[in-house]
Amino acid sequence: MGKRPPLVVLSSSDDDDGGGRCTGSRAPSARRTRTPAPPPPAAKQAPSSSRKKLRRGSSGGRGRRGASDPAPSGSLKAEFDMLSEDFTECLNDLGTSGSMHQTKELWVDKYRPHSLAELAVHKKKVEDVKKWLEEKLMAPKGTHGGWSLVLTGQAGVGKSATVKAIAAEIGADMCEWTTPVPTLWAEHMHASSGLQYVSKLEEFENFVEKIRKFSLLFPTTIGSQRKLIIALIDDIPVTSGNASLARLGKCLTSLIQSTQIPTVISLTHYHKSEANDTAMWNSEELESLLQRAGAHKIVFNPVTISSIKKILFRICKQESSSTTEELVHEIATSCGGDIRHAIMSLQYYCLNPRRLNSALATSATLLESTGFGALAQGQDCYSRSSSMPSPCGRDETLTLFHALGKFLHNKRESHGDVNIDLDSFPLKEKLRRNPLKMDVPEMILSQAHGKVRTVADFLHENALDFIDDDAVDDAWVVMSYLSEADCLLAGSPITSARWTVNESNESGSMSQLIAASVAARGVLFGNAHASLSRWHTIRSPKVWQIERTFRSTKDQILNERFDCSSTPGSRNFSEIVNDFRPFERWICPRSYMPRNVSVHHDVDGNNSEEDVIEDC
Amino acid sequence: MLWVDKHRPKALDKVTVHEQVAQNLKKLVAEQDCPHLLFYGPPGSGKKTLIMALIKQMFGAGAEKVKMENKTWKIDTGTRTFDLELVMLSSSHHVEMNPSDAGFQDRYVVQEVIKEMAKSRPIDAKGKRAFKVLILNEVDKLSREAQHSLRRTMEKYSASCRLILCCNSSSKVTEAVRSRCLNVRVNAPTEDQIVQVLEFIGKKENLQLPFGFAARIAAQSNRNLRRAILFFETCKVQQYPFTSNQVPPPLDWEKYVSEIATDILSEQSPKRLYSVRQKFYELLVNCIPPESILKKLLSELMKKLDSDLKHEICHWAAHYEHKMRLGSKAIFHLEAFVAKFMSIYKEFLVATFG
Repeated sequence: MGKRPPLVVLSSSDDDDGGGRCTGSRAPSARRTRTPAPPPPAAKQAPSSSRKKLRRGSSGGRGRRGASDPAPSGSLKAEFDMLSEDFTECLNDLGTSGSMHQTKELWVDKYRPHSLAELAVHKKKVEDVKKWLEEKLMAPKGTHGGWSLVLTGQAGVGKSATVKAIAAEIGADMCEWTTPVPTLWAEHMHASSGLQYVSKLEEFENFVEKIRKFSLLFPTTIGSQRKLIIALIDDIPVTSGNASLARLGKCLTSLIQSTQIPTVISLTHYHKSEANDTAMWNSEELESLLQRAGAHKIVFNPVTISSIKKILFRICKQESSSTTEELVHEIATSCGGDIRHAIMSLQYYCLNPRRLNSALATSATLLESTGFGALAQGQDCYSRSSSMPSPCGRDETLTLFHALGKFLHNKRESHGDVNIDLDSFPLKEKLRRNPLKMDVPEMILSQAHGKVRTVADFLHENALDFIDDDAVDDAWVVMSYLSEADCLLAGSPITSARWTVNESNESGSMSQLIAASVAARGVLFGNAHASLSRWHTIRSPKVWQIERTFRSTKDQILNERFDCSSTPGSRNFSEIVNDFRPFERWICPRSYMPRNVSVHHDVDGNNSEEDVIEDC
Repeated sequence: MLWVDKHRPKALDKVTVHEQVAQNLKKLVAEQDCPHLLFYGPPGSGKKTLIMALIKQMFGAGAEKVKMENKTWKIDTGTRTFDLELVMLSSSHHVEMNPSDAGFQDRYVVQEVIKEMAKSRPIDAKGKRAFKVLILNEVDKLSREAQHSLRRTMEKYSASCRLILCCNSSSKVTEAVRSRCLNVRVNAPTEDQIVQVLEFIGKKENLQLPFGFAARIAAQSNRNLRRAILFFETCKVQQYPFTSNQVPPPLDWEKYVSEIATDILSEQSPKRLYSVRQKFYELLVNCIPPESILKKLLSELMKKLDSDLKHEICHWAAHYEHKMRLGSKAIFHLEAFVAKFMSIYKEFLVATFG
């Protein structure tokens, strides 16, 4: 631990403070630009680590005590104790914000890059950004437009870090938009305190207004020896609805067109890990808007595995923790190019060496189990690793429609590279399928987070479109699997009848999972001669609509059942619909109401409404 | 009033079609010891008629004064309470209801209703026949749970009430319930019997029946007496006096199903399957039971099928009928059957005609 270098101190913090003062003095009501982390004194680190050791020691002791427990379930209990202590320890270790662990930091903050050399981002990108910034900072004032830069990329690829590092390097001040503490409207109403409710959008507008004014005033005050200032907008307020999005767009456009200081806007891309949340503003839309307004755009790619590994090794060395190379490799490959996530994972696994081993063990078994790797060959390393749940990976999400598209389009390897004969038993020719060009179906399903019923209904509605016109056999195979899935979904064979609600949840969830798997794999397997891929709209299942209408019609019939008749006995529902209703139309046309009895009445089809998933 | 109800025999003595069964029932009532009864048989065979006549035989004219009530049952499952509304017909001696109308909550209905009835046990002045009769229709549509709870309540309250169950297929009633009842099979009437009934009604209504007219209706009714009488009445409404070659119009849903059958036989492709699905939807939306659709479709397909294929097709129809009962969305299974048929039929066509 003694090796820990003293560079933990945030080098840019002084500059930051300066920048903050800069704005602060001009606008008294302004929020603090950025709270610089107090420089952690190196001397204080030692007690913390010793405390950590102490805690570990005591936990070990407790564990031993548990093990020597004379109770028959002693070893089990001990294991549980260890686990729970493990967990609380983790919580304590990670929860650095508390006053108790003030001296400890998240590694993400601790090893924040301070120089360009430390950045994990590709050299060329950094160079680009730096060139642009320098150009702008040196450029004469007074020109309009072209003062803004948009950085896009996945979360955690180092967009903000790059800008900050460059700013530190060339000695420019940062002026940041820090997000105010979010107050929900409901929360505000509940508290009903003197706090004034300001929507985030409004605050953002205020901030933007300030930057504009600031940049206008600035050159006159400082004169020749001007300070270098970079504005960084890191967090664009979330908007929902067209009106507020338009407002945001207008605000940003005016900012870009009128700003006089280099302004960097960093946009996180969501399309890779598509948020299922529809309320999420459309990052691409915003991006194109910014570009139209005249902003320069630089795209950040995911950080490469090797540079993540480099950083991780450096951190390990500085922390003098004994991480194995395998673990680092595992973390680096599974993080999907998100360096922030990688560092977090590393810190987590370095907290306790025991966990480290177990992580490796799991990943080893997982690697072994990729014997089904025929399914997952020929993919780049990120998605391959995401096909097996690594102990330190990120979960990816897909939209339901994305998942459905994967199943329906049924992309497979072409015939050329069929080498699946490593299977132990040969299959008949007609049962053989080329390997899938996607993850394991179950994985896709779990990423899509759709309800199984919904998935099955969507597959049923749309599968036929994707089957070749001559392949009726395939249609049957697909349909038979969907029929099986429906049986599984209806619950255990004991529960019969039509509108069964699955009340036995324990066995239910299992059969749900199986049903989803059967449906998805059935569609994939059955569609052996996939029709040429062309554009299909995915229709929303008509079954839902049919069922709603069915229920209302049924209720109506049941209500009418006793109205007309003075029959001594009641009639069964099936008798009514099969016999009485058709006949009554002929026999007593006067009493016959023409509203819904016609069989040929058209079920109005409103197809392809794509946003109805939630009303299932 | 429809002729079906108007000319329904009101007493066991007047029953013409199932005379033997009626006599047996009469003996049963006369011996004062009435077990639980389970009537089963195809639709339109006269189960309900027999039951109503039996009730009258048991309790006299008092049983005919029925009132209809829409009763709300308070169900307490322990974890939650909810209200369940159910229509029931009742007289002072019996209650008739359709528990399967309650859908998946049917089991609560069965328990609660019977408990309630057992509580308000009628005390006859003469101290005899101190039991009520509960008529449950469509027992085969009850869920398994409901049938199990029915079994338990049957034993517990057998002193205070008698159950008369009525269903189409006894195979869908659990073994346990079946063995606790006296099973009465009500056959579909033969065509001759239907002709007799029609002629009887014709006489009562003072109608002139041309020769062979009743037989034609009987043939079209598929041995369903109710349907035969309804056809008869339809013909009367459409044209009277009857002409010698008059045929009643086919039922519109049955016509629609035979259209579907023609569609299936004319082209076998996923596209056609999709259009068939839309037609199924139209039937389902009008509450035609999927079982009936499948049955009718099968019989329509059978008419035009080579005898080599019949066995296999029947097998698959049965398979998917079973699946339909296990599953919850009938369209999945109907469609699977059609797809299978298309697949088999196409293969057959290719093999035969190249």
